[in-house]
Amino acid sequence: MWKFIVRRLVITFPQIILLSLLVFLMAEMMPGDALSGLLDPNIDPAAIEEQRIKLGLNDPWHIKYADWVAGLVQGDLGQSFKFKMPVTELIEQRLVNSFWLGVATLIFTYLIAIPLGITSGRYNDTWADQMITGYTYIGFATPLFIFALVVLWIFGFQLQWFPTSGSVEPGMVPGTFEYVLSKIQHLLLPSLSLALITTVNTVQYLRSEIIDTKQKDFIITARAKGASESRVYNRHILRNSLLPIAAFFGFEITGLIGGTVFVEQIFGYPGMGQLFLESVVGRDYSVVTSVVLLFGIASILGALISDIILSLVDPRIRIK
Amino acid sequence: METNNVNGQDQVQDTTKSPSGASIFWREITRDKMALISLIFLVLITAFVYGISLFLNKEEIVRVDLFSIHQAPSEEFWLGTDYGGRDVFGQLIIGTRNSLSIGILVTLMTGIIGIVYGLVSGYFGGQVDNMMMRILDFFLILPFLMVVIAFVAIVPTYSVWTFSLIMTAFLWMGIARLIRSKVLQEKELDYAQASKTLGSSNFKIMFLQVLPNVTSLIVVTMTLNLAANIGLESGLSFLGFGFPESTPSLGTLLSYATNPQTLEYRWWIWVPAAVLILLLMLAVRNVGEALKRAADARQRRG
Amino acid sequence: MGFLDVEDLKVYFPIKGGLFNRTLGNVKAVDGVSFSIEEGKTYGLVGESGSGKTTTGRAIIGLNDITAGKVSFEGKDLTSKKSKTSAVRKDIQMIFQDPYSSLNPRKRVLDIVAEPLRNYEKLSKQAEKQRVGELLEMVGLSPESILKYPHEFSGGQRQRIGVARTIALKPKLIIADEPVSALDVSVQAQVLNFMQDIQKELNLTYLFISHDLGVVKHMCDDIGIMYKGRYVEQGTKQDIFENPQHIYTKRLVAAIPDIDPKNREAQKQFREEVQREYEHSYNDYFDNDGLAYGLQSVSDTHLVALPEKG
Repeated sequence: MWKFIVRRLVITFPQIILLSLLVFLMAEMMPGDALSGLLDPNIDPAAIEEQRIKLGLNDPWHIKYADWVAGLVQGDLGQSFKFKMPVTELIEQRLVNSFWLGVATLIFTYLIAIPLGITSGRYNDTWADQMITGYTYIGFATPLFIFALVVLWIFGFQLQWFPTSGSVEPGMVPGTFEYVLSKIQHLLLPSLSLALITTVNTVQYLRSEIIDTKQKDFIITARAKGASESRVYNRHILRNSLLPIAAFFGFEITGLIGGTVFVEQIFGYPGMGQLFLESVVGRDYSVVTSVVLLFGIASILGALISDIILSLVDPRIRIK
Repeated sequence: METNNVNGQDQVQDTTKSPSGASIFWREITRDKMALISLIFLVLITAFVYGISLFLNKEEIVRVDLFSIHQAPSEEFWLGTDYGGRDVFGQLIIGTRNSLSIGILVTLMTGIIGIVYGLVSGYFGGQVDNMMMRILDFFLILPFLMVVIAFVAIVPTYSVWTFSLIMTAFLWMGIARLIRSKVLQEKELDYAQASKTLGSSNFKIMFLQVLPNVTSLIVVTMTLNLAANIGLESGLSFLGFGFPESTPSLGTLLSYATNPQTLEYRWWIWVPAAVLILLLMLAVRNVGEALKRAADARQRRG
Repeated sequence: MGFLDVEDLKVYFPIKGGLFNRTLGNVKAVDGVSFSIEEGKTYGLVGESGSGKTTTGRAIIGLNDITAGKVSFEGKDLTSKKSKTSAVRKDIQMIFQDPYSSLNPRKRVLDIVAEPLRNYEKLSKQAEKQRVGELLEMVGLSPESILKYPHEFSGGQRQRIGVARTIALKPKLIIADEPVSALDVSVQAQVLNFMQDIQKELNLTYLFISHDLGVVKHMCDDIGIMYKGRYVEQGTKQDIFENPQHIYTKRLVAAIPDIDPKNREAQKQFREEVQREYEHSYNDYFDNDGLAYGLQSVSDTHLVALPEKG
């Protein structure tokens, strides 16, 4: 067991190093550098050059890379030239918003997937199953951004049940009950539309897993022993089918990150995805690279966690 | 002549040539009404948009006309105009053509890379496979959308070609992984081993012996990928990181809906594009699912 | 210098494991096997599944890497890396066990049989077609079936296609890995007799790998018996069937069914005798790991694995 975890950790480090190289390469390819945004264009070019040398901007790439990594390790992500503040500070609030959006989406994803998947798998080929399969079929083919737009159009604009942008009503005092309520209200629409689309994978997986398990010999044995139908499902089938699903949440992170970009943009939700897009448009490149790096690390760690949980749940993986 | 009992009957009537993969695919599609309708829809729409766009004056359509901004559908503009006074219907046709073209292009390029990568990795196995899979895992784990957007933003000369290259660079992994696992099984079969003893080079065995046995997997995967790629392209264009505005795609039309005014009051700009993307993706998927059933003998309907 | 000489052949498969996928140990699939085959003869390699007989054959033809030992064919060394691609390989060909998986299902008979020709001989399309037709006729199939796919043939017919492909390059040695064990019993004899016919016609040498002593008795001149990667006994057909020395061989021979009811009593007695000997003197034939000892000469042609005397 521990062998698998150690081995899995061993391949995580090169992944993070590769990611940092990729992000560094991106940063290097980007036009301009830390100085071009900060300085007054009227300053003497010789003085700029001197400043560049002092800051190490003319160093060979490997030294720059080493400096950059050293900064990262100390939590220094550079300066945002647009907002004139350290990227870490800029990101903080956005990260909290995106975190809650992610959590809400994951909760909804499982809240939708588990009952639907179980119903569909247990009563397969009934009308309920056909409805659910129809939903997953359409869900697979619908691009998230179109779905989100339609949801916003209907529930935000036509019915006006939900706010159409922001993460909280302006003027609320943090910490009050109304503040929290308003936050939740702003969260609902984006996270639900994201969950409704991303959950179809899980629903389908759960369905086919249950249908598979149903026909296994040990289930037939359990029935033959006289176990009641509910006992067969709760004790035998669900235990085998739900655990892998629970472990998938780490893998979901990669998908969630892509989803949040769309959803935050469409619902005007001030999170990391929106910040990312704003920074790309505003050519605030140190923010762009930081966001890519952070989300890259999040995906790597997500996959790591999922793999470890899966190996605990499913011994077959360990032998690989 | 005796026929073996494994796949008996249907070969007997047809002794000179056995049913090829293509005819099995065809039979499966015609048995499935939805798939057949989807296929006809796709053929018609492709012929229509590529045919019509030959006669459309592209400059005329993308030229800004300030006197006819945001007009509702009328005799002159079937689907109204956008914020630049451009004809939405014309943009819809050109956009569909562009979306289809890039979807197909990216699917083909990712397909070629994925096939070669998967073949090499699976065929040689061992340490080579190990290394190649680690690299693949890394690509798979990257936050695709952000990386693509970042590269689109920093690439010095941005064109349709660089856009498709960037997309390809981060989309080849899925098919590569599928091919690899199939090749791992195939290469252990005696026919591949026999080829070795008959003096065939590794290259020949990979591409002439093993590859024909994974074609059905390739066809199915690439069809399903096409649907996904059309969605991805329109998504990126929607965010403003796909086609430049002078080359409209379906996503470009949808991106006008990020303006709340347009979303709420000018449905004619974005709803047709949304419906069209949905229909395209559903149709391609329908065909893909039918092919998938055809490739798996146990699931065939006919 | 013999026709095919195998000296102390060893094929080990590493067992990987641990933290960094180090090699923890070896599975000794073939562990020190030596034999030689004379030109034009059929040499039978017999053993239960997992005894290493197939691995031996595959190592000779180059499908498995040789860990140690030497294989030479007409005096030319086959062990070195370089020889893997050399023209010597052309002279050694293989017939596979499973006629279903050994023919590429996506290729027409023409392409299957012509594959070796395309690798070694540059023929025109017309000449190639002609040659394939001749080869098919030689194995008793109609040349019209040239455009069919393998699944349109029965198992026996497929094995004939496999043989046609094998003899296309006019090889000298053919390694036949259980060539009939996947076929119906009724077809087995057909294919075996036909293999003997082409042996005479083309002056072929066979290395015949089988678990079926009955088939081996029918086909082979010399026989080697393998058990757990080692030889337990080697000799001419008479040596093995009439004078088996090792208990393992005796048990194999005793297990051959005899249809003649007159021999039933004698058979039964022989079997019981062997069983008694097996129970009593197991330790005389196998070492502490359950493996066979080194080979000792019994006669000029007959070698048996026995503990060294003294």
